[in-house]
Amino acid sequence: MSYAATRRQVLAGGSALLAAATTGLLRPTPASAAPDKIVVRVDRDLANLDPANRTGPIDVNVLNAVQQGLIAFKPGSTDWQLDAAEEIKQVSDTEISFKLRPGLTFTDGYGDLTAEDVKFSFERFIKPDSAGKMVDYASDWGALDHVEVTGPLTGRILLKSAAPALWVITLADGSGRIISKKAFEKLGDKIASTVIGSGPYIFKEWKPREQFVLEINPDYKGPIKPFFKQIVGRPIQEQKTSDIAFQANEIDFERFEPENKKAFSALPDTSVVELQGIDYVWFGPNIEKKPFDDIRVRQALRLAVDVDAILAGAYAGLYPRANALLAPNLLGYWKEAPVYKRDLETAKKLLADAGLADGFKTTLTVLSDAKPQAVAAIVQANLAEVGIQVDINTLDPGAYWALGEKDGSKVLDLSLIEYSGKFDPSFQTQWFTSAQVGQWNWQRWKSKEFDDLDAQGAKTTDPKEREAIYLKAQQLMDESAAFVWITHNVNTYAAKSWLKPGLLPNGNGWLYTAFSAA
Amino acid sequence: MKLTAAAVAVVGAVLLLLSLTLLIPGDPATMLLGPRATPETVAALKAEMGLDLPLPTRLAQFLGRAATGDLGVDIFSGRPVSTMVLQALPNTILLAVSAILLAILFGLPLGTIAALKPDSIADQAIAFLSVGFVSAPSFVNSIFLLLVFALWLNWFPVLGAGTAGDPLDQLWHVVLPAVALAVGWIGYIARLLRSSLLEVLNEPYVRTMRAYGVPESVIVLKYALKPACIPTLAILGIGVGELLGGAVFAEVIFNRPGLGSLIYGAIAVRNYPVVQGGVLVVVLLFVATNFLVDLSYLWIDPRARARLALAGERSA
Repeated sequence: MSYAATRRQVLAGGSALLAAATTGLLRPTPASAAPDKIVVRVDRDLANLDPANRTGPIDVNVLNAVQQGLIAFKPGSTDWQLDAAEEIKQVSDTEISFKLRPGLTFTDGYGDLTAEDVKFSFERFIKPDSAGKMVDYASDWGALDHVEVTGPLTGRILLKSAAPALWVITLADGSGRIISKKAFEKLGDKIASTVIGSGPYIFKEWKPREQFVLEINPDYKGPIKPFFKQIVGRPIQEQKTSDIAFQANEIDFERFEPENKKAFSALPDTSVVELQGIDYVWFGPNIEKKPFDDIRVRQALRLAVDVDAILAGAYAGLYPRANALLAPNLLGYWKEAPVYKRDLETAKKLLADAGLADGFKTTLTVLSDAKPQAVAAIVQANLAEVGIQVDINTLDPGAYWALGEKDGSKVLDLSLIEYSGKFDPSFQTQWFTSAQVGQWNWQRWKSKEFDDLDAQGAKTTDPKEREAIYLKAQQLMDESAAFVWITHNVNTYAAKSWLKPGLLPNGNGWLYTAFSAA
Repeated sequence: MKLTAAAVAVVGAVLLLLSLTLLIPGDPATMLLGPRATPETVAALKAEMGLDLPLPTRLAQFLGRAATGDLGVDIFSGRPVSTMVLQALPNTILLAVSAILLAILFGLPLGTIAALKPDSIADQAIAFLSVGFVSAPSFVNSIFLLLVFALWLNWFPVLGAGTAGDPLDQLWHVVLPAVALAVGWIGYIARLLRSSLLEVLNEPYVRTMRAYGVPESVIVLKYALKPACIPTLAILGIGVGELLGGAVFAEVIFNRPGLGSLIYGAIAVRNYPVVQGGVLVVVLLFVATNFLVDLSYLWIDPRARARLALAGERSA
């Protein structure tokens, strides 16, 4: 028997197929909304899973889910809760005692978690490795003298000096993760890609540049209760791709550009989360170079630039204005910091007083991303109105951050900079000390008084005293007129409506253990 | 001769690449150690990575190790670069070959139709389409295809290269990026083939065949198309080579873990071992592809076979 379709039949069949396809009959099943597994987007792949040599928040978020610390961050706050420690106490400015929970075990048969593991995990930050190299995050434990083991589950952390920031910068974060001494000795360099932990999740799989998989650790005995059985992280470099993948149900959670908040809020089955950031974005001159060595020129710059216009134009009016270094939710936030309004007349007068009534030419160096370039264009237009001609020099990240070495910042005129913040003010102030000139203090601003305050703040334990120290430090920065603060950033996330993400207030810290059903 | 030229091309490319690492600002040690590193730590790591060695020494070391299959290690994770490249390579080869096959599948018929009916409406329509295809950037095609076929119609996935070991899933994932890349090549092949086929169809031997009453379809398909394809083949050789290392946009936008996106990501963080290893493999593939294309002339073009035979007799 043979069958020959007529042209009419072929057309009818084709139309039906097309209609079925477009109405969804042929569509593959979208990603499951089942509450036992979620897929989250990370903007780059894991790189190094050794807590002491991690490369950033993507790594540390996984480490925090898989490895325990003595303490761990509470979701949504900078406070901490007990984790591997059953008890932990600041005995004196330089001593912290701890007692571990009994029965904590490492995965893959590496045995019980003991005080020896704690000692090993922390002291490797202050000792060079077999090749004589210090770990990358050595400074997190810069105050550590040694850890004394007083029993199988008890010990004392002894410091060289008081270190109030140790709790949130180190103990609750990546540098406070407890690794198995036995596993480290056996795995060697493989520690960078193999995570042995005792935490709520197991590092089940890592297919580089495709995905990593975390699965609930059935042997975990700590206080944290993870919700999802499996968390899949997919590295997606391109934001637009990630946005489309979210809408196509291939991922359940992502960070998106705040400018798209309205569009994401309108999506069905989507909840949007917004967090004020603690980063610091500013631009400023190299004050060692003429004419910026004259404070009147720096003051003129500050008055000539319209920060509100930058926020409206480059940040879509969605980012909060920064008026000083520390963000509102940090200790030392300077509520009464001056809010400089644009004042072209005064700016011109200051320039004239400095002998620059006809203006001058300068260069503004920025990263090659869209936002810095938009900021640069507005700054360029603003400064042109007082006779300052600005050339914009855009650099790719590799070239831009190379300015932090070999005294690279010496050649800069103006630069636009964005640094990520952490929860303790000492982390933020450290980059502006005189010792950082030639590295990360690109304004090359030196103040002995500021240096002393930075050192004092790092050792002072009384919160009131610390607050006063950091307020004074910011006042000194303001007096220098070397910094035009722009924003502390804002972070926006999209999640499927059934998902409640576990985020820390800096926006970069994701507690996978706190992701739960909405 | 060709093998010598290929070897020189490989060494030259590696030399250029190593020189660039000296010229471009930024280095892996700074990127790896981050802002809290001291200048002493950075210097120590540079020495450990051999970045302080003279260029000839680095070239000799790199080529010596590469000859044994050792392309170094990723500076961040410590994973062997050869493993990373080998994991990425199948995805890139599948994408490049799929794109070229699609380009041939659509470009050849369009070019042939245009050449057989010069200046007709069909020819003009194909010319219009071809120029449009050639001028559309692949990243624009990629976003457009994603929006239409992945998001609105939901026919194809947005992310990834599919599950390893599941050919159907991998094919399903390669459709959109392959189309995005093929579009430009379809237009290019169609224009190129039209022009060379028109030329061949005016050759005396074609006129002779027509005079003998050989059917036009036989003339075109059996005697004209083969020689007309030679310029196209040369371009395809370059095209496959280019796609093997240059399908960056498609790989980044479709989130495919291929060789192009591997190199692209590594450049941004000055991960030189990965850049060098990846580019070396791309150069080798490029050279090998073009070598194969050169060989294929012998199969397609009897005149090339005759020239080679003559050269052989002379040298004997």
